[in-house]
Amino acid sequence: MSGRSFMITHAKSIYGSVPLIGWLVGMLLAVLTESFFGNTLAYALYLPKVPALFGLTIVLKQPSLFPATVFYVLLIYCLPIFAVAGLTATWANRFAAAMEKLPLWFSAIIHIGVLYLVLHLWTDLSDYRLQISKLTMIAVMLTLSINVINGYMGEFSCSHPGFMALGAYASSTFSLALFHQDRLFGTPLLPEFLGPYMFPMGLLLGGAAASLGAMVVAIPSFRTRGDYLAIISLAFMFIVKSVLENLEVVGGARGMGGQPHWATLPAVFIGMTVCIGVINNFVNSTMGKALNAVRDNEAAAEAMTVNTRRTKMTAFMFGAFWAGVAGGFYAHELRYINPSSFGIQMLAEILAMVYFGGLNSVVGSVVGALSIQMLSEALRPLELFKWIIIPLLLILVMIFRPTGLIAFREFNIRKTFGPKVLKKRI
Amino acid sequence: MEFFLQNVINALQWGSFYALIALGYSMVYSILMLFNFTHGDIFMTGAYIGFGVATALLILTASLALPGWLLLIVTIIISMILTSFLGIIVERVGYRPLRDAPRASAAITGLMIGIILETGNLAVLGAQRLSFPALIETVTYDLGGVYFTNKKILIVGVSLLMMLMLHAFIRKSRWGMAMRAMSYDYQVVPLMGVSLNIIAPMTFAIGSALAAAAGILYGMAYPVLDPYMGILLGWKSFVAAILGGRGSILGAALAGFMLGFIEIFTAMIFPSTFRDLIAYSIILLILTFRPYGFFGQPYSTQLRL
Amino acid sequence: MALLQVDRMTHYFGGLQAVGSYSLRINPGEIHGLIGPNGAGKTTVFNLITGIHTPTEGGVFLEGRRLIGLRPHQIAALGLGRTFQNMLLWRHMTVLEHVKVAHYAQINYGLLSALLGSHRRYADEAFIEKNSLHLLDIFDVAHYADQLVANLPYGAQRRVEMARAMAIRPKILLLDEPTAGMTTEEMIQMIGIVRKIHEQFKVAILLIEHRLKFVMELCRFVQALVFGKVIAEGTPEEIRSNPKVIEAYLGSEDVS
Repeated sequence: MSGRSFMITHAKSIYGSVPLIGWLVGMLLAVLTESFFGNTLAYALYLPKVPALFGLTIVLKQPSLFPATVFYVLLIYCLPIFAVAGLTATWANRFAAAMEKLPLWFSAIIHIGVLYLVLHLWTDLSDYRLQISKLTMIAVMLTLSINVINGYMGEFSCSHPGFMALGAYASSTFSLALFHQDRLFGTPLLPEFLGPYMFPMGLLLGGAAASLGAMVVAIPSFRTRGDYLAIISLAFMFIVKSVLENLEVVGGARGMGGQPHWATLPAVFIGMTVCIGVINNFVNSTMGKALNAVRDNEAAAEAMTVNTRRTKMTAFMFGAFWAGVAGGFYAHELRYINPSSFGIQMLAEILAMVYFGGLNSVVGSVVGALSIQMLSEALRPLELFKWIIIPLLLILVMIFRPTGLIAFREFNIRKTFGPKVLKKRI
Repeated sequence: MEFFLQNVINALQWGSFYALIALGYSMVYSILMLFNFTHGDIFMTGAYIGFGVATALLILTASLALPGWLLLIVTIIISMILTSFLGIIVERVGYRPLRDAPRASAAITGLMIGIILETGNLAVLGAQRLSFPALIETVTYDLGGVYFTNKKILIVGVSLLMMLMLHAFIRKSRWGMAMRAMSYDYQVVPLMGVSLNIIAPMTFAIGSALAAAAGILYGMAYPVLDPYMGILLGWKSFVAAILGGRGSILGAALAGFMLGFIEIFTAMIFPSTFRDLIAYSIILLILTFRPYGFFGQPYSTQLRL
Repeated sequence: MALLQVDRMTHYFGGLQAVGSYSLRINPGEIHGLIGPNGAGKTTVFNLITGIHTPTEGGVFLEGRRLIGLRPHQIAALGLGRTFQNMLLWRHMTVLEHVKVAHYAQINYGLLSALLGSHRRYADEAFIEKNSLHLLDIFDVAHYADQLVANLPYGAQRRVEMARAMAIRPKILLLDEPTAGMTTEEMIQMIGIVRKIHEQFKVAILLIEHRLKFVMELCRFVQALVFGKVIAEGTPEEIRSNPKVIEAYLGSEDVS
């Protein structure tokens, strides 16, 4: 056996058996290291500041800083993560095995708690990171919700920006009219301190508004499929945009601004976690599998007792609901929305994320949203060419993997949290 | 009454753009059962190519002082040929590798090539808006209070001529016959000696050539070009192609004109900001009651996912 | 009372009569056959009974309950299972998922439980999974449980489709050319499978077939359909010797 392949096998035998919690603890240590020594190290390496996105943004902007950034990333992130993950593998596996015996929600809370802590510490260092993280999480929600319709149910729906706009406007109206002083609605009706507590209500309202709107697309879907439904959904999107442009109550074409700053990191994080959990729960249930049956053959689904109308209605309203919630977060994060931001451009971005990541797959959606967002940030220095490189990449993905990178894969939460045992090769 | 007639002329002109572009969508659909989502941007590129050709011609033939109409005809022909190569490239790069892939994936590639064309245009020519050279003098005729220009007549005339030529091509020529056969079944017909690898690029090429003609005509009517002009007209024409019935050439042309009428007349009655709202609402209504368009066949297509 | 009763069912496609005054009575536990040349309207009869099309005239009753006007999934949930001539399997789903989804009408949990994961949901899902595996075992495809249907050999695909149809707990099973595209050996296997279903689940069966041998082996009562009309009915022997049937199958009788 050559030295190199021995190294690889060796690394596999160590890191193949690290459970998720081991990696998370490693990441925790990494971000802790960064928050204590990050600035010092950056200064020592002659970096102007701590690399915001693992040096992704620096590579193209100031290539001369690249070696120092790589060194920084290796020292601050890779070293602690791999050290901790490798050294604690045995304990972590024992811990994971112990948690496996407890109810699933318990280990879910622990994992998600640690993940939040990591994210919190990491975003604490720069506002840029904070905003990118929040927008990425919103993108994850959007991608997942469109995957329910386009992936799991297999309709080519183009109405997602419309659903998102409905949610964004409904929840913005809720918070501006009730809790916040602004130019459109004037004095708030309720005391402002209540606002943050009522924010979930506003999001639900946004989701509900989007769900109602989705009925416009869902009802024609009983009779028609494919291209015609795509057009109906596209028309719906343009109609929503156009109605909002003409509705002076919500600011017309000038848009709506000054939403209170309620889309905090914990709020968006909780929203995203619930979204992933609920959608994953749904698509893995027999009720959710009915969506796939409707996609693959509707007549057979109907003959096997599947209520296809109810299934379609559920998929559209459910997908739209989360798009609406994401829209609510989006409005409160950017604190300004106008109708033209929910147009073809937004549609292209959402479609890019879902088809890049993979249809019919929760993990695919998360990966798709994350990679397109990160790529988008990394390529920002290229300005225009960003919108040549990302489409090119997507075309390549479509040619070689027409359903996306990680398509048709089930996400088993229990297995993900459980201990990892390396399969021994004989 | 004059006002009404005036709007009829405007609607005819506006509808010709939609109809010409919608034809391209419809033709590709009838062969491949796929929409060419790059088509709107091919229209835009066609307009820019037309701009380039016209400018070059004006400079090259400045000493000859050729008549404007001759230059226009030459511009249209050269641009149509050049743009048809773009169509062939789009087919080769974006659609041929995905012929057996899910339909949605091909739609995504089409959209992405469109974005590349838009951005590429911005990157090459910059953000300033170019104005299309006026090849012919505008002459305004007054017919009992109804004003129309020679350009409007020219636009409507040229588009009708193109449609007739296309119709003759599809009905009469050998290639047209192959296309029609292919539109019945693109998996079986190739077994009979007609290659899809020839017919499909040809369809893309003809569609793109028509889009280029539409682009030049559009440039004559509204001389300001911008890289995103394909989005507005492209999507509307796509909708017209659907309204006409998937793959129906006649339907696409009629629906294109109809869409023009709907838009112009809503703008006549309502404030202009309502134009999209009303146009799309009418489309939604039509599709609810005639879910397969005007000339479409009511067969159900599953998304080939 | 008959299990399935069809009374003078007539259906027109456009102006064309696809099925004319078709009647049928099946009692619990019987196996009936429906034969006829291509385009005779056999599958249309199935589609009319299962609610995919609504008959222009006539009635369909399952255990005395009128089925006309119900949606196909409601009819299926009442106990009318079917298979399809070209199987219509779900290409992106595993074998196990096929059978699980067919339990749709037996789900007791609501949408909210599906989203949040209540105890009832897990209990239900566990039951469905157990039952599905049991069905797969009966049809001898359990070892394919986690495979996509497209990867299965043809005979196994047919059996998966049968398992799927049985998962809705049918009282009567409509089989649409279960031996289409099969070799003679496979057909003989299929006879065994249909017998097994019939005995093990005590289900009545109505089957469409092209091959007379299959029908003769299994059915007590056979109808012959030509151009949407029943031209003969009776025991397999009667049908086989009926001159009208021979004519429809072989053309004019002059040959002999």
